[in-house]
Amino acid sequence: MKRKLLNSLAGIVLALLLGAVVMLTQGHNPVRTYGALFKYSLGDWYSLTTTLRNSVPLILTGLSASIAFASGPVNLGQPGQLVIGALFATVGGLYLDLPPYLMIPVLILLAMLGGALWSGIAALLKKWFNMSEFITTLMLNMIADYFTYWAITYPLFETNAYFPQTPRIAQSGWLPEWGEFNTNFIVMLIAFIIVWFIFNRTTSGYEWRISGKNSLFARLGGVKVDKNYLVVMLLTGALAGLAGGLVVMAGPHRFLKGLGANYAWDGVMIAMVANSGIIATFLYGLFFATLQSGALGMELITAVPSEIIMVLQAIIVLIVVAGRGYLDILVGKLAARKKMKERAS
Amino acid sequence: METLVYGSASPIKVLSFIYFIEGKSPVGNIIEMKHIVKVFPPNVVALDDVGVAFREGEIHAIVGENGAGKSTLMKILYGMQPANSGQIFYKGSETKFADPGEAIDNGIGMVHQEILLIPEYTVWENVILGVEPVNFLGHIDKKRAQEQVRKRIQEFHFNLDPDSKIGEISVAARQKVEILKLLYRNVSILILDEPTSVLTPQEIPQLFDELRRLRDNGHTILFISHHLEEVITLSDRITVLRRGRKIGTVNAAETTKQTLAQMMVGREVIFTSLKEPQDAGNILFEMSGINYLDSEKRPHLKDINLQVRTGEIVGIAGVEGNGQYELVNVIMGLIEPKSGQLKVSGQDITKATILERRKKISFVSQDRTNMGSCVSASITENVLMTHHRLNERFTLWNGAVLNFKEAETFTEEVREKFAVQMDVVDAEFKSLSGGNQQKIILGRELLLDAPFILLDQPTRGLDVGSIEYVHRQILSMRAEKRALLLLSADLDELFRITDRILVLHRGKLVANLVTDETNITEIGYLMLEGKPHET
Repeated sequence: MKRKLLNSLAGIVLALLLGAVVMLTQGHNPVRTYGALFKYSLGDWYSLTTTLRNSVPLILTGLSASIAFASGPVNLGQPGQLVIGALFATVGGLYLDLPPYLMIPVLILLAMLGGALWSGIAALLKKWFNMSEFITTLMLNMIADYFTYWAITYPLFETNAYFPQTPRIAQSGWLPEWGEFNTNFIVMLIAFIIVWFIFNRTTSGYEWRISGKNSLFARLGGVKVDKNYLVVMLLTGALAGLAGGLVVMAGPHRFLKGLGANYAWDGVMIAMVANSGIIATFLYGLFFATLQSGALGMELITAVPSEIIMVLQAIIVLIVVAGRGYLDILVGKLAARKKMKERAS
Repeated sequence: METLVYGSASPIKVLSFIYFIEGKSPVGNIIEMKHIVKVFPPNVVALDDVGVAFREGEIHAIVGENGAGKSTLMKILYGMQPANSGQIFYKGSETKFADPGEAIDNGIGMVHQEILLIPEYTVWENVILGVEPVNFLGHIDKKRAQEQVRKRIQEFHFNLDPDSKIGEISVAARQKVEILKLLYRNVSILILDEPTSVLTPQEIPQLFDELRRLRDNGHTILFISHHLEEVITLSDRITVLRRGRKIGTVNAAETTKQTLAQMMVGREVIFTSLKEPQDAGNILFEMSGINYLDSEKRPHLKDINLQVRTGEIVGIAGVEGNGQYELVNVIMGLIEPKSGQLKVSGQDITKATILERRKKISFVSQDRTNMGSCVSASITENVLMTHHRLNERFTLWNGAVLNFKEAETFTEEVREKFAVQMDVVDAEFKSLSGGNQQKIILGRELLLDAPFILLDQPTRGLDVGSIEYVHRQILSMRAEKRALLLLSADLDELFRITDRILVLHRGKLVANLVTDETNITEIGYLMLEGKPHET
């Protein structure tokens, strides 16, 4: 645990230093740049709430990927599941009329249903035709992308709009805001706690974890591997769908073109940096959201383009992932040297 | 540390002392390893100040339990792993090979347990691979190569056809090719890592004859083993390692199996049959008319009929690859038989799910790391498997949530009952030694309280001490009136603990014999020929 934390912190510090070198070669002042970056992501209440709000889709799609990877299925369909979830929530918000205390849970469930449906297709393709979810989820991403694009351009198009988008959903479906703080973070937090509990404390979660590491052993131990595969696919799809629903309900309150942005791929990246750890995914999600939110402010007051954040993210991924293996070797070597010294004395 | 080699013969002692001062080894010792220390990160001392000397032209066995450091010592000599400290003297001067290639160039070659040959290539092609003789055009000179290989085969009386494909010859023959490969490279010191582990009892004497012939030709042979009998038969001298320390080097002619075993484990080991007479009860497990075909319609099991009674251990002997794998998988429900019926305590389980079967069957697999455990999960998580669905003690809320406290208590119980050496229950399973891993697996399976116990080579790869322990556990299950089916490639094991022995040959059960009324030779013939030997 301590070692993991050390590895992550060392990776982040090293990445920031390397980022500074990149800035220096471009003639920018790294201290000022980083100052702006963190000022505009954590510096005041407004920035902080923006960061928290932006972290929600990253963390949810990250959790989706982490749970899938740690349990075995290679679900890479978060982008598709996210937009389908968003579409389901939007449709519900457009055609349902319920008081907020019902509307919000219903839209959330609809979003999860949409995501689960989309990942469920991949799960069925595996069951019926033995097609690898690695391929099918990726392909379904494209279908979801163009399907939602069609939906907001034709049937759900807001009349007179200049841009493919739907009308706003009913106001009862908007997530409440407390000042600047958007309650989407609370919804995410609840989902996080539930997911952590399922994965780490329940009998099913135990089976998923073991199946993810050695499915033959799990199968021989009496674990219903096929059933678990389906459940994990549905659950991770639902999480990505929830991410999409919350984007709509917290933000533009409608589905507009490009809504999914890069959230889901960033989520997959976060799952990889976090080595599919649930808590690590949460923390990295917050950190990456900090970088991304600060980037805009940074661009505003320095001449550094916000794209530098992508460079920084890539460096962090590489260093943390590479460092994970190397640190084990290093710690092992140091321990061996210590043992030799003990023997000698 | 005292070594038995030099004894107290003072002239030699003085001589060796002088040579030690000069950094040279005494006459006759072609290799001398001194004060070798190897630490595997983080803190496993694999070799602790080990010193061994090998004489030119001897067969020298290195024996020890698993994890004693035998292979590590040889890998250090061969340049596969660096030592943390210590010296190696080769032909009198200090040497350190950077890699196996360098060792081979200097005349030292090693044959590993896994055989690494190209199955599509012929024997001679495999032998010359890497050192091909070429003609003036730079092409491989096939004629010359074939001739050279043929000459070597004749020289060493290897019963091999240089033109047959590796994929079509027996494992024993492949092993010979590995040795031939090294001889072709003019290696004079051969290191063999458990060469007999892949052979049938009938093939071993032939290998030994060939090794003796090589020795008489002036080759030096170092071989790793933990089969005491063969070590005494074959070698001139024997070095015993225990837990990374050298216990001593003895002359094979002057030692006994008992002495060696005692040196290896540090206490006396009983080799005689362990079982006490006991009457078997009712039929508990039954397979009738089981046939299995693979996806290409090849039959692997043909009309298998067998019965196991309560309080009975039934052994299945057979050369590996004669249907054992399929038999186990059919019983466990990993594959479906084409026809036939499986019954446990009267209940038909032919089509039951694995979980249903597990209520009646405990299973110890021969593949500890892939089938028997999850090495990257914690010890507790490994102990919990199957119990988590069958044993209410480990769950709360109607089975939905795990009771980790209870699981950890259970792991402690397994540790106590099965004498497992481990630090903490949440350590990774792979941090345990092989013997301790097997004890945990046995503990998990035997404590399931299933009436039928399926054991597939439960002692494979274990050291003498652990094997004895496992056997005692198996026999205590027999005393508890459970029904046991034991598949084993180790005939000694079968004779030691079973009541009946069935022989599996090409997917058929060809014999059903009472253990006390048969003998190793009879079973050996049945394993190879599928029928009794005609005299």
